[in-house]
Amino acid sequence: MGNPIIYRLGERALVLDPTPSTPISMALQRKLCWIADLCRDRQEIISAVPGMNNLTLTLSAMSHIPSWQQQLQQLWDEAESAQLSSRHHVIEVKYGGRYGGDLDAVARHHQITTDEVIAYHTAPSYQVCFIGFMPGFAYLTGLDSRIATPRLASPRQNVPAGSVGIGGEQTGIYPAMSPGGWQLIGHCDIELFSPNHNPPSLLQPGDSLSFTALKPVSRGTHAAN
Amino acid sequence: MLLINQLVGMATIQDLGRYGYGHLGVAQCGAIDRQALLLANKLLNNLDDCAAIEFTASLTVTFNQDCWFTITGAPFIANIAQRNIWHGWRNRARKGETLTIMGPKQGRFGYLAVEAGFRVDSVMASASTDINSGFGGLNGRLLQAGDQIGINPSNTNISKPVGAVIRQNNRKLRALPGPELQHFTPQSRQAFWQQHWQVSDQSNRMGYRLSGETLQTHNLIEMRSHGVMPGVVQIPPTGEPIVLMADAQATGGYPRIATVIEADLWKLAQCQPSDHVQFEHVSPAQADEANQEWQRYFYRLQRAMNHHG
Repeated sequence: MGNPIIYRLGERALVLDPTPSTPISMALQRKLCWIADLCRDRQEIISAVPGMNNLTLTLSAMSHIPSWQQQLQQLWDEAESAQLSSRHHVIEVKYGGRYGGDLDAVARHHQITTDEVIAYHTAPSYQVCFIGFMPGFAYLTGLDSRIATPRLASPRQNVPAGSVGIGGEQTGIYPAMSPGGWQLIGHCDIELFSPNHNPPSLLQPGDSLSFTALKPVSRGTHAAN
Repeated sequence: MLLINQLVGMATIQDLGRYGYGHLGVAQCGAIDRQALLLANKLLNNLDDCAAIEFTASLTVTFNQDCWFTITGAPFIANIAQRNIWHGWRNRARKGETLTIMGPKQGRFGYLAVEAGFRVDSVMASASTDINSGFGGLNGRLLQAGDQIGINPSNTNISKPVGAVIRQNNRKLRALPGPELQHFTPQSRQAFWQQHWQVSDQSNRMGYRLSGETLQTHNLIEMRSHGVMPGVVQIPPTGEPIVLMADAQATGGYPRIATVIEADLWKLAQCQPSDHVQFEHVSPAQADEANQEWQRYFYRLQRAMNHHG
């Protein structure tokens, strides 16, 4: 796949940014996560952090920069033919009611029923692109555009841990109580991040997940009116 | 053991930071003035990564055991049992004595380290407090009056006080150009490197905001989220820089105009709001030289300590 763009950031970080101006690619993201996993086992690498279609490596010393510029290129070439596998998680969600106070509003916004919102939300297999914002907060891609919903006009001060939300084109789960502006459509009971677990985060970059409705709420109500 | 009697401002347990968990969204944390923590630990013959107390204002503690300690970082005024304590020196506390720290006269963060380090549970391989996520240090929170902090056992081989040469903060932040530097207009690039930036009062362990002439890019550039680290200088839509510090999130999405070199990030950390700083464009080779200068500083200290016992 040719020469990717590799550049330096600061004294001892390298960024692999293969296609900065093309649309976001899930195949590319899987490749970057695969490279990141390999890098993390290497002694000269302090951290390997995937972003959205890019990867930032922090090296233990500045002197490793030239050799890692080459090694990144090699890993990139190897990733082309590698078998990329990923773990899949099924997350049980209680939708609506007191678990997801904005489910009705999301249905109203799109003029569909809440059951349809749930159906569209549980159908896809989402990909964990990267984790950021707070420990264990996964940026998922794959949201059905029919339920993409703008963020709340004013964010909530305290979104409970486990809340499942939609913010624009994205969906995700809040691993800990935090302020947040996403539309909350449900809640899940799993612990996404625990500092004393190994690994501390249930979701890892490159994983995939799907949601399943634990108990459907009110059926057939047309929230549009 | 050490008991915190009184505390003003913000104090946390910090070591050199939490590494290798950025891909899970975990911040690096650790001492915001790394060289001050290194100095504190080296003066006590500790491992570099021993945990210390990072504090920002007055602090009174009582030692429950005989103990060698140091105070480094910003120049605080301190005394123990009527004896004045110089910062940048190691001193001995007797069991039951109370150390009073006041200030700082200038600067912002001080470090109180003890021989063998504070005994704090390690979370993800670090004792550092992550106050935003609530783990590490003492129950993941700021220290408060009444807290008792254990001290690791040691067979002391320290016999006398030793002091270090105190570095000067010229508030010139040497920095490497960032990936998006060229996206800024020539006027903005010039302003970035030449103007005196004022440290905003919205500056904390996550990032320092600077105010001055706002910076503009040629076109609106669409940035995708990417990994970041302390030292990275971001330009958000307001056009005023944010320099990421120890507690910064692991990923960001603003243009990266520059990165402050590791040898100089402490200078910014030790600025108070309304202090002025300047960026100085350097090459990787100059950054390397600056790191070696720190190594020589610590090497000379080690030699002096070996000589004085």
